[in-house]
Amino acid sequence: MSEFESEHLALAGCFHCGLPVAPDINFHTQLEDVQRDFCCFACQAVCVAIFDAGLQGFYQRTPEGVLLAPPPTPPRDVEMYDLEEIQQEFVSCQGEIREAHLLVEGIHCAACVWLIERSMMRITGVRSAGVNLAGKRLHLRWDSSEVKLSELIHKLSRVGYSGVPYDPEVAEGTMKRVNRALLYRLFFAGFAMMNLNLIAIALYSGADHGEFVRFFQWMAFALATPALLYSGYPFFKGAWTGLRNASLTMDLPIAIGLSVTYLFSLYVTLQGGTQVYFDTVTNLLFVILIGRYLEGMYRHQAVSATNRLMELQPRVAIVLQDGAEKICSVRAVTVGAQVLIKPGSHIPMDGRVIDGSSAVDEAMLSGESMAVKKHPGDRVIAGTLNGSGVLIVEVEAASQDSTLSKIIRLVEEAQSSRAPIQRLADAIVPWFVLVTLILACLSFYLWSANFEHALMVATSVLIITCPCALGMATPMSIAVASGLGAKHGILVKNGVVLETLSKVTHFVFDKTGTLTEGRMNVHQVFVAGGQHEDDLLSFAAAVERYSEHSVARAIVLAAETRQLPYRTLTVQDFYATSGAGVAATVADHAVLLGTREWLLRNQITLEGVLMEAESAALSETCVHLAVDGDHVGMLTLADTLRADAQALIDSLRAASIGMTLLSGDRLAVAESIATQLGGMEVIAEVLPQDKDRTIQQLQQRGERVAMVGDGVNDAPALIRADVGIALGSGTDVSVESADIVLMHNELDKVRLATLLSRYTLRTIKQNIGLSFVYNSIMVPMAMTGHVTPLIAAISMPVSSLLVVANAARIRNLFKEK
Amino acid sequence: MDVIYSLIPGMVFFGLVFVGVLIWAVKKGQYEDMEGNASRILLDDDEDTMLHHDQKVHAPKA
Repeated sequence: MSEFESEHLALAGCFHCGLPVAPDINFHTQLEDVQRDFCCFACQAVCVAIFDAGLQGFYQRTPEGVLLAPPPTPPRDVEMYDLEEIQQEFVSCQGEIREAHLLVEGIHCAACVWLIERSMMRITGVRSAGVNLAGKRLHLRWDSSEVKLSELIHKLSRVGYSGVPYDPEVAEGTMKRVNRALLYRLFFAGFAMMNLNLIAIALYSGADHGEFVRFFQWMAFALATPALLYSGYPFFKGAWTGLRNASLTMDLPIAIGLSVTYLFSLYVTLQGGTQVYFDTVTNLLFVILIGRYLEGMYRHQAVSATNRLMELQPRVAIVLQDGAEKICSVRAVTVGAQVLIKPGSHIPMDGRVIDGSSAVDEAMLSGESMAVKKHPGDRVIAGTLNGSGVLIVEVEAASQDSTLSKIIRLVEEAQSSRAPIQRLADAIVPWFVLVTLILACLSFYLWSANFEHALMVATSVLIITCPCALGMATPMSIAVASGLGAKHGILVKNGVVLETLSKVTHFVFDKTGTLTEGRMNVHQVFVAGGQHEDDLLSFAAAVERYSEHSVARAIVLAAETRQLPYRTLTVQDFYATSGAGVAATVADHAVLLGTREWLLRNQITLEGVLMEAESAALSETCVHLAVDGDHVGMLTLADTLRADAQALIDSLRAASIGMTLLSGDRLAVAESIATQLGGMEVIAEVLPQDKDRTIQQLQQRGERVAMVGDGVNDAPALIRADVGIALGSGTDVSVESADIVLMHNELDKVRLATLLSRYTLRTIKQNIGLSFVYNSIMVPMAMTGHVTPLIAAISMPVSSLLVVANAARIRNLFKEK
Repeated sequence: MDVIYSLIPGMVFFGLVFVGVLIWAVKKGQYEDMEGNASRILLDDDEDTMLHHDQKVHAPKA
């Protein structure tokens, strides 16, 4: 390769992932005599590993135009997957041969399939490796006497993928299996319908007088009978359960319509008549099953929220026993045991720190954006993330009594006690059934002079009113609306809430991470004595870029956004005092940065103007800056509002919808946010169970509540609320608990979702209206004895098609804008 | 026209066979991963011979 070409490649980006390489970054490797550049260490390591294994063909196989992402961070604590008791949860054994499914992060194209399968199969002891590209899963079979699962996962991360074992049965849940069974029934109904329609066409076009009429009728009977029994089984079962519980569901009129149509046709066949409706039976079955299948696809999988919570709970702990470290399953750790927590690992159990200190990230549970310093005597909570220090913790609660387990129980409780959503169509069905039955009886009575004819008329009333269109009205509208929502970043997980969202009267917002960004930002910069804001910020950023603190990161970010040349300033004699501030020499100036006390300790005279500014900034964190012995500036930092929060709150207020701000944070902070947004009810310093209770109280007052949140602690409230909305960036648990997920964290999408909901509800109403119009035309025809099998065969699918076409109109919603 | 007595049962029989095949395929997971298997057939095992014939050096896809 020529000099020019390799030059070109360097400009083109990282050799592995294709992302641009920053000029001051040095990751080069000589591969096959050509120098390759990388954007980061991870890409370099992965690429070298791929070449070392002789699998460089991977890069040839990557389709043109596909950008590989930088490899994901490899999973931690992989060794625990070798423990027998943990393997029980996801591995199936046949002697030494083990089988497991892994969820693999980092798969983007077919070349990845090749690379993973090839590199796995080269490991001795691996019997088979199969990648599912669509599901991003890997199925492994290996001999555990030759190779350990942790080694396989390590090997996988060396070529750039992170794999976590999981149990497909648990992950997919029973819901999917039920829906698949429905799909088989749909297949069969479709088969019977197609064949029966061929026969029906022959009959309608004149064969009903010829020599084959008996044969055709019995063939139709032979097709309709298994279809009714197999494909129609769910409806009969549903109708029966409904009757036993004295509630009239949609299944009942469907079951009545189907069985009456079938039995009447059988009666006619036996009598030697000509008017059979067998084709109507299968047509109905097919159309209604499509509706049912769509409904099943958009139903909420609430089971998985608790699974996700369980995953947060670390499964092993390092127990200190007589000075030795021992890895144990958390279930085996008793109260009073001493547990070692390494930097960057999750805290396995609730307990009290007895030695060491570290900053612990509790954002997941409390919603607090700043890491909390833990010293001996402080409590730590299972599932939270340890920072850079080592902690020794005395266990205070067994794993099943931890805070996390309590949240799991809250979630389960909320799931089981959540009131079922009353759907519009369900409210109409009982009346519909009643009216149909009365009309059928009435027409039988009117024609009772001629028994044969009266029977035929009454049956045709029941056949023609079979609620085909009514059954499609809701699922079709919701399916179209969900598809449209997904295209615009609104993921509707529980389709039913699309009916409820537009009727919501009260919105409850979580503060941290939902209305606010969830991290510190420089809010204001105050200066004293003719200094320039940008100079001060440059000084501050130059010092702080050597610190890992969240305040420091915010200051560096602010300098970065203003494009200040802080990197060019030389920094010497850097010195930090934990909890107070930092000192350094920047470009030959003595710079002090920290709290007011830090400046006082260094004999700096405080500037009056800046002190006033500090007392005015009530709830914000203040950082003071002194240069060469003069107090010259102050930065205030706060968790800032999301850019679109104000617009959303304003529009909700304009629609006179009640709002409540819920926060685990201090009252002053929560109130300052509420004031910025124009004021709303504030409930601060709440625990997860309080959030749940707040929603319950609002509901008892008769409000319909929507909850918007993003944390683990919001999960019970998200489930309890009539509509739970989560942000896509939120924790997995909140996403699983919510009914609607906003994919790009755009709060503004809440408004769009409400609009979509209003439109969906309107379409559902129109559809129900359509099916009533159809009935008001057809019922009088049936009662006067004008409905023949041919008319039924044409009019019933037409009414369903009308409903489908009307639902498709929802797609125009966003086109107009 | 007596042929119709065997044609229609024949048609139904073949229909049934296809429904059976469809259900079997779904159960076997044939529809679980449409993309992966479609491209797997194009990924050969003969990369060594490929490299001998054609000494091209792969370029990144930027």
